[in-house]
Amino acid sequence: MSTQKRLSKRNLMLFLILTILIVSFLYPLYFMLINSLKTRTEYYVDPFRLPHEGLQFNNYITMVSQFRILSLFKNTFIISAGTVLLLLIIGVLASYVFAKVPFKGKAVVFLAVLMTMFVPSQVTIIPLYVGFSKVGMVNTYFSVILAYLALFLPEAILLMTANFRVIPDELLEAAEIDGCNYLQKIWYVVIPMGRSAIFLAIIFYFIMSWNDLFTPMILLTKMEKRTVMVALAALMGRYSGSPTFQFAGLLLSAVPALVVYFIFQRKIIQGLSMGAIK
Amino acid sequence: MLVHTYKRSITLVAILSLLPLILILLVMRVYPIAIAIARSFTNWDGIYQKDWVGLRNYIEFIREGPFLMILRNTLILLLNVPLQVFFGLLVALLLYERVIGWKFFRAVIYTPQIISAVIIGYLFRIFFGFRGPVNIILKAIGLESMAIEWFGNSYTALAVIVISITWYGIGWQAIVMLGGMSSIDPSVLEAAIIDGANYWQRAFRVMFPMIIRVIEFGVIASGVWTLTQLFPFLHVMTRGGPGYETTTLDYMIYLKSFGFSFGINYGMACAIAVILLFIILALTSLEMLVSKRAEIGRRA
Repeated sequence: MSTQKRLSKRNLMLFLILTILIVSFLYPLYFMLINSLKTRTEYYVDPFRLPHEGLQFNNYITMVSQFRILSLFKNTFIISAGTVLLLLIIGVLASYVFAKVPFKGKAVVFLAVLMTMFVPSQVTIIPLYVGFSKVGMVNTYFSVILAYLALFLPEAILLMTANFRVIPDELLEAAEIDGCNYLQKIWYVVIPMGRSAIFLAIIFYFIMSWNDLFTPMILLTKMEKRTVMVALAALMGRYSGSPTFQFAGLLLSAVPALVVYFIFQRKIIQGLSMGAIK
Repeated sequence: MLVHTYKRSITLVAILSLLPLILILLVMRVYPIAIAIARSFTNWDGIYQKDWVGLRNYIEFIREGPFLMILRNTLILLLNVPLQVFFGLLVALLLYERVIGWKFFRAVIYTPQIISAVIIGYLFRIFFGFRGPVNIILKAIGLESMAIEWFGNSYTALAVIVISITWYGIGWQAIVMLGGMSSIDPSVLEAAIIDGANYWQRAFRVMFPMIIRVIEFGVIASGVWTLTQLFPFLHVMTRGGPGYETTTLDYMIYLKSFGFSFGINYGMACAIAVILLFIILALTSLEMLVSKRAEIGRRA
């Protein structure tokens, strides 16, 4: 009885500490939201107060009409979706070979692929930029997608290979007896069986490419090709006098990744705690 | 005979499946690394000149450039690693108790990782701006003298960056540590309770030694992260300034290649990239060595 009481008292304390921590993590989002709905003057009078002069949607309207955030979303979406799609096609094919197809020197090839994971993107960006400009590929979405593929593939393959390895060989043999060819085996057996890893890769690398700044900033120099984060980083400095406008922009650009996260967060956290992805 | 052709077709399929991957890695990773290393010994400008200059880029960077300042900045910024790991462990310990709503807490604690570093950098820049909320609070509680221009001085600017990246990293650390903790056999902890160990003894004497591998991984991974992924934070918060006062190796590569319209020196930037590459390779092989040692230890 007494231990139980002490336990619940302790639980209450832990609950309170966690609540304080959570508030410190959510407060900035809340702060951005309330202030993005104010006028500049109202913000400077008291930034902590809820908007009381009526909600101002002007900041968001300007974000769409002048900052053209929707077309920035479109650019970013093309790059993120293209990256994820190609990542899956190339990654699943390669992971299946690494997991299930025996051939000489496989371990060496696998290790070599993983080794490239540790090289920071700053090391390769200058030769890449010069190379892309020689073949006229600077300012194309495909250049960024290719750079992302090279950065993400080793990690994604590590994740998927581990997952495909535990698919029972009997299932693959049974599919073969039923007349499946190589690709049909992957489509009907490997992909459904490895869906947790594939799903995790889709969400994770979509968010990664949505949020990235460095690679698209170097490879996309034309205004109309820019991704959201590149445009934010370049243009927000110009609006440093109107924080409410900045808040609207920051919040809007965070929304797509946050929505994806909160729909699928259980799967993401599961994958992370398995230590699958850094 | 039949087996032979079967084997050959399997090898062909394997090669075809791996071909796109290998091509991408060769063209987009291996070749650029080779070029970066080779050009670090030249006065490359990306277009016309690439004359051999030997070790001049390296020597010039270490002797004359803001090398010492970069070293100082990096060491200060690395302070985020112990902070991240400490708070991550603390949060993981709290979550491990599975109080009501722990799954919600776990989800929220990870949200900074989902938000782009660009956005977080801006957020902290506005929060610590001269007319920002932090200074307003400081003034309101009578600490007028502490309400300063945070980004005007290198030490306070670096402190704000450390705070922001710690805030960003805690969630990742907590989830990884929690993953390590949940693989501990609960009967071990129960045995410790029976032996009369209190909560802190259980945490420090039983739990931490059992997840020491995970802690090591957290330390090295966030160390590597600090050395390679600060670009967006620095770019939106300080641009490496004032002067080079908040510049790191990875930001210096950018400044020397795409950053200023003057002082562009691809050869020098490649030399800095090679230095960074070797630091990262040293750190990751340390991590591998540690994990191998742990594996052997476990087997023995």
